[in-house]
Amino acid sequence: MTVTPFPGADVASAPVFDIEKVLAGIDQMAAQRPVAAQIVSVANSDDTDAKALARILASDVALASRVMKLANSAYFGMRGRVTSLQFAVTVVGFTTVRTMATVALTDLDDESRLPENFWGVTTSLALGASILAPKFGERPQDSLCLGLLAQMGAALLHHNDPDGYTEIITAHPTYPGRRSAETRRYGINSLRLTSVALEQWGFPVAMTTPLKEVDDHQSMDGALLRAAFEVASRLTLEDYEDIPITRITCGRLREDDLVPVLDQVRSDAAELRRAMLGDSAADDPDANPDEWVV
Amino acid sequence: MSVSISTPPDDDMVPPEIVATVFYSATVSDSLAILVAETVGSSQRLTWGNQGAMQLLGYGLEDLRTLPAAHLFPTLGGGELKLLLRRERTARMTLPIRTASGATVDAVVITTPAPGGRTWTMRILDTANEQERALRATADAHERRFSALTERSPIPTLLSEQGMRLAHVNDAFCTLVGLRAEQLLGTGWIDTVHEDDLDGVIEQVAAALDGAEVEIQARLVRADGSVRTTVIRFAHLFTPGMGAGFVGTIEDITDRLAFEAKLAHQANHDPLTGLPNRTLLAQYVADRFQAGTSGLACLFLDLDNFKVVNDSLGHTAGDELLVEVANRLGATVRPGDLVARFGGDEFVVVCENVDEEAAVALAGRVSDALARPMRLGGVDIRPYASVGVTVQTAEHVAAEELIRDCDIAMYQAKASGKGRVTVLDQEARAQARDKLRLVAELRDAIERREITMYYQPIFSTRDGQPVAVESLARWNHPERGPISPTVFVPLAEESGLITALGRLVLDETCRQLAEWDHLLGTGVVGRGNVNVSALQLDDNLAAQVAAALDRHSLAPPRIQIEITESALMKDPTSAREVLEQLRDLGVELAIDDFGTGYSSLAYLRHLPVDCLKVDRSFVAELADGHSEIASAVIAMARNLNLCTVAEGVETVEQAEELTRLGATYLQGFSLAEPMSGGHTAAWFAAHSEETP
Repeated sequence: MTVTPFPGADVASAPVFDIEKVLAGIDQMAAQRPVAAQIVSVANSDDTDAKALARILASDVALASRVMKLANSAYFGMRGRVTSLQFAVTVVGFTTVRTMATVALTDLDDESRLPENFWGVTTSLALGASILAPKFGERPQDSLCLGLLAQMGAALLHHNDPDGYTEIITAHPTYPGRRSAETRRYGINSLRLTSVALEQWGFPVAMTTPLKEVDDHQSMDGALLRAAFEVASRLTLEDYEDIPITRITCGRLREDDLVPVLDQVRSDAAELRRAMLGDSAADDPDANPDEWVV
Repeated sequence: MSVSISTPPDDDMVPPEIVATVFYSATVSDSLAILVAETVGSSQRLTWGNQGAMQLLGYGLEDLRTLPAAHLFPTLGGGELKLLLRRERTARMTLPIRTASGATVDAVVITTPAPGGRTWTMRILDTANEQERALRATADAHERRFSALTERSPIPTLLSEQGMRLAHVNDAFCTLVGLRAEQLLGTGWIDTVHEDDLDGVIEQVAAALDGAEVEIQARLVRADGSVRTTVIRFAHLFTPGMGAGFVGTIEDITDRLAFEAKLAHQANHDPLTGLPNRTLLAQYVADRFQAGTSGLACLFLDLDNFKVVNDSLGHTAGDELLVEVANRLGATVRPGDLVARFGGDEFVVVCENVDEEAAVALAGRVSDALARPMRLGGVDIRPYASVGVTVQTAEHVAAEELIRDCDIAMYQAKASGKGRVTVLDQEARAQARDKLRLVAELRDAIERREITMYYQPIFSTRDGQPVAVESLARWNHPERGPISPTVFVPLAEESGLITALGRLVLDETCRQLAEWDHLLGTGVVGRGNVNVSALQLDDNLAAQVAAALDRHSLAPPRIQIEITESALMKDPTSAREVLEQLRDLGVELAIDDFGTGYSSLAYLRHLPVDCLKVDRSFVAELADGHSEIASAVIAMARNLNLCTVAEGVETVEQAEELTRLGATYLQGFSLAEPMSGGHTAAWFAAHSEETP
């Protein structure tokens, strides 16, 4: 399908861009990472247990080692006590395992194919959402997953149109502005694209709704993600002009609330990034699957 | 729309009649909403809808057919309809659908492309249907109930749906640790666990996540730095689709523990001085005692003249003195030494890693510290103490022996003059132990009636005939052989066995008299003289004598009670009362060892006695030509109208002299030795045959 560029855009530079192809590309990726794909599909099932998930996970060493690493990270509070894969699944929860599988499935762990500082933004977004979640009546671990996956659409757009997307980033340093530009260029913004992809894989509506409503400032459903983007922006964008947090959260947060959150995100982001991306399996002493009690 | 089924059915295809049946039911179903869309030109149009779709959307079939597909989905901007109408695969979206009235309905739309990629069926599931609403309402109600229960509950509660990370914490927990919920959620709560207890808590959480129900005692550090001791109970929690978590309920046991500790302290400490009591002392020594080692020492302190303080200045002053002594002891001993109040005015100090020299030096320091003057009730006093010291040796096999030994040492210190320090030497220790053993054996001997009676005849000077016997208790120890009454009678007096011994002597004498009456005829052995200790002189004595006489059917005059002069002089008033009771009973009374006890002759005159026994020392003097005292005693007795018994008559000359002096009765080895009951019977029988 050909998307007609938004009127006023530079017609000559508009790429031939087929969203359906982008989405179909995900299916192809899934075929290349069958274990991750299986986890994405199984983890949502009501009768899945940690044992079953661990058994599947054990066949993808890189992914399993990341789950282990995440389970032992400060974020989950187990301080290196998690030695069995099954227990690691128990600690991080099924949604998180599923999120990590999705990250692997969509090549989000390959930084060379992502927009610049993608993971710097993503970890800030995820931790910000997770820490702020209780203020919005949300579960922190769900919000962490939402934050981790939110930028998947941006990654897909960048992957299919690296030059065009880099131009958008350069021209629009702020996220709301970038999303408008995405819509103009691709007919859809990156968060919306993420929500479609997640919906396709059966992620719960509670996770996809905020992605759709993030730009509706009257919507409470999108408020947490908006706040998380504000946190990420303040921490990762140079010369960023703060937007008053009260305004974008329907009065739910005050600036005072944000101070400790910014500190915590700043200190924890690197560890979360290491856990999510992992080292290569060979370099990771924890990554020998024979040593995992599944 | 027309459906044509031209392909002949084969094994892979659904038979046409089944397709027709399913299609028909889909067409007329009002619970299933199905639309068909197809690409016309550059946009998608709706081409068909079933009954359910008409009902849901409010359009007639004809109106529907004129509708662009995008019109149904107002939130899909730009090219987003393509995301729903994918060419090669099914798509699923949750989004609002615009109905004919312009209102929107939340729905899940599932689209399936036909093989050509230009036509789609769209299944619309109304998320706002009754069942869904009911399910959601039930879930919400559950959530609210749970929230209300935990939020309002006074029991501090933690809830995690995933690993250690808290999703929920109630007000009671926030109050307990003094932090806000947002500071605790996630892994923040872990920071409230005391560092030393953290490993244990994490271990228990891990067990709970694995499905166990566990509990642990852990300290929580409040925001203000104070520490609460709690019991945290973890229960496994499983959320479908989420994984494992836990519910933790916290019981603050700080106050309970403090109360228990207070009770335990009260049970083991003296309320007046706050020092450990005897129970704790025993436990303390037992915990540190290892047989075969050395280095453990005990000091036993007893305040000299404490009774005087209590009696003269009152018990409040006495208590004040004890508190001051406790303070001085505490300030004088080495760090780590235990000071305990043993009871009354007795204190014990226990030290570790000391030799005898160091222990004695400590005892000296303690004595000096106590002897500093203090003002009590307006009077300056110096609380001197007698201190017994014992250092553990190889001979000590049990912890309690240490304390017992320093007790003995203290008595030695006291006996050798007050305000002294005495170390228990081995000989004294052996003696003390031997004495303890002998007391136990004496008790057994009395219980088993192994104390035997010997009887020594007493003769009348008038006609030389035996008129009575004196009962003499003998203890023939199975291992030690005969033990003198001068040993075992004082031992019985010291150890509280004298009453039992006295009762045995009295009863056995009466029994023997009755037996002799039976064997020899009534009155052949006229009377039995029984010695009574000073300690027996109480209101029970007359009753005991009466009971013994009664038990063996004897007349009271058959018994004479002999009481030493010194026993009478201890408490003359009460002695006189007891003697009067005995006199009223009808038994005879004699004063034993007369002349040795410095008794007042004036007082003697008023005592209701029948007889004086002239002490053997005065009888022995006769041999040296000194008859003054014996003579005076006999003369005085005669003047008081009392009879006399001269003891220890060992020669015929003594007997003659005493007869000449006017003694009423004689008793001694030269006349007849003490004999067993059987021999006495034989002796009397033989004697009565000799005498017509």
